[in-house]
Amino acid sequence: MTPTRSQACLALKGVACGAGHRTLFEGLNLELASGQWAALRGHNGSGKSTLLRCVAGLSKTLFGQIQTQGSLLYQSHLTGWKDSFTPYENLVWSAQLDGGASTQSVDQALHAVGIAEQAELSFARLSAGQKRRVSLARLILSPCPIWLLDEPSTALDQQGQILFANILEKHLASGGLALIATHQDIPKLAAHFTIDLGEA
Amino acid sequence: MNRARVDPSVPNTKALQNVSALHAITWAMRRDFALAARSLAELALVIVFFLLVTSLFPLAISPDKKLLSTIAPGIVWVAALLANLLALPRLFALDHSDGSLEQLVLSNAPLPALIMGKVIAHWVLTGLPVILLAPLAGLQFGLPGSAIQTLVLSLLLGTPILSWLGAIAAALTLGTRAGASLLALLVLPLTVPVLIFGAGAVESQAAGLGFSAHFSLLGAGLIFSTLLGPWFSALAVKIALE
Repeated sequence: MTPTRSQACLALKGVACGAGHRTLFEGLNLELASGQWAALRGHNGSGKSTLLRCVAGLSKTLFGQIQTQGSLLYQSHLTGWKDSFTPYENLVWSAQLDGGASTQSVDQALHAVGIAEQAELSFARLSAGQKRRVSLARLILSPCPIWLLDEPSTALDQQGQILFANILEKHLASGGLALIATHQDIPKLAAHFTIDLGEA
Repeated sequence: MNRARVDPSVPNTKALQNVSALHAITWAMRRDFALAARSLAELALVIVFFLLVTSLFPLAISPDKKLLSTIAPGIVWVAALLANLLALPRLFALDHSDGSLEQLVLSNAPLPALIMGKVIAHWVLTGLPVILLAPLAGLQFGLPGSAIQTLVLSLLLGTPILSWLGAIAAALTLGTRAGASLLALLVLPLTVPVLIFGAGAVESQAAGLGFSAHFSLLGAGLIFSTLLGPWFSALAVKIALE
């Protein structure tokens, strides 16, 4: 049984994570329900990415429990896109694996993030901001209720920031939730929770 | 760019569904073929390398026909092994550096199936060309027709084993500083049995002993490595990403 989007939730109970022999943070608690998002703040090296990797299941926590209900989408600093494919091909290949989107919706998503004109260029030729926008298109296409995003608005211009805010707003309105590592405020959308991991 | 290249029959379902193993295998295979099609030079590299290595031996040793036909199976096998090794670092390293390996691990598709697709693609792009060129190398060394046949069959059974051993080692050495050279050090000793039975089959046949024992062992190795390879590689990839 797959839970519906409105049942999606994410709970951290006394979570501690480390890097190498060092403990980065401990005793972290968070309960995110459908429609909420939490901002993850902290200095460089304070463990924001590590926490996201732990929640995604790529790394192990030192202590504590992480419970999720609903499927996850994890977007790291690395885009996961192939330089030799076009943005369009990248999204279609990724959608084929998830079985989540049609080619028409890929076209629409590329249009929505303003990459329609560059859809047939090879990915390597896009600017840093345009590459980020392709990742935004993936967010639009994703059926996953839980988003784990690592600095999603890096390199985005003012319009890109607003675009991202709109995408997130829609996601939350449709019952999704998100944990976002970010240094910037997201326009219009105040975080329901803020986790400050402090200094490194 | 040609859009028809991409399969338009993507199922349009709202919920994320579990992906079948077969779908995962074909997806990973087609994706790696599509990527290889964008860098044909690398494909050619393996082929040119194999041809060069097999042509260097007669120049370095002696043009003595009898000697050459004796050592030919061994040379072709070593060249096949090195050609396979040449392309191995790219099997996972590119996906690792651009982040798509993370996405493969996190996807709903079973990781061993995705890896199986990747390894099949790797074998088709490096093992198969070598097998197709082996008769040419055999002729160059003056091997008789029956020996060339046995050589090709032994490569057909043996090169997939090399690909699987390589895949496990490539996954284990992901993210290490001396990646490619460490990979070679790790893989080469493991391939010794494959080399012995592969090249040995041709010699044994020439000596009138038949090759069924060698082929049985290679076949057993092929089954064993295909069954276990995906799981071990998947485990190694997960460890590398941690």
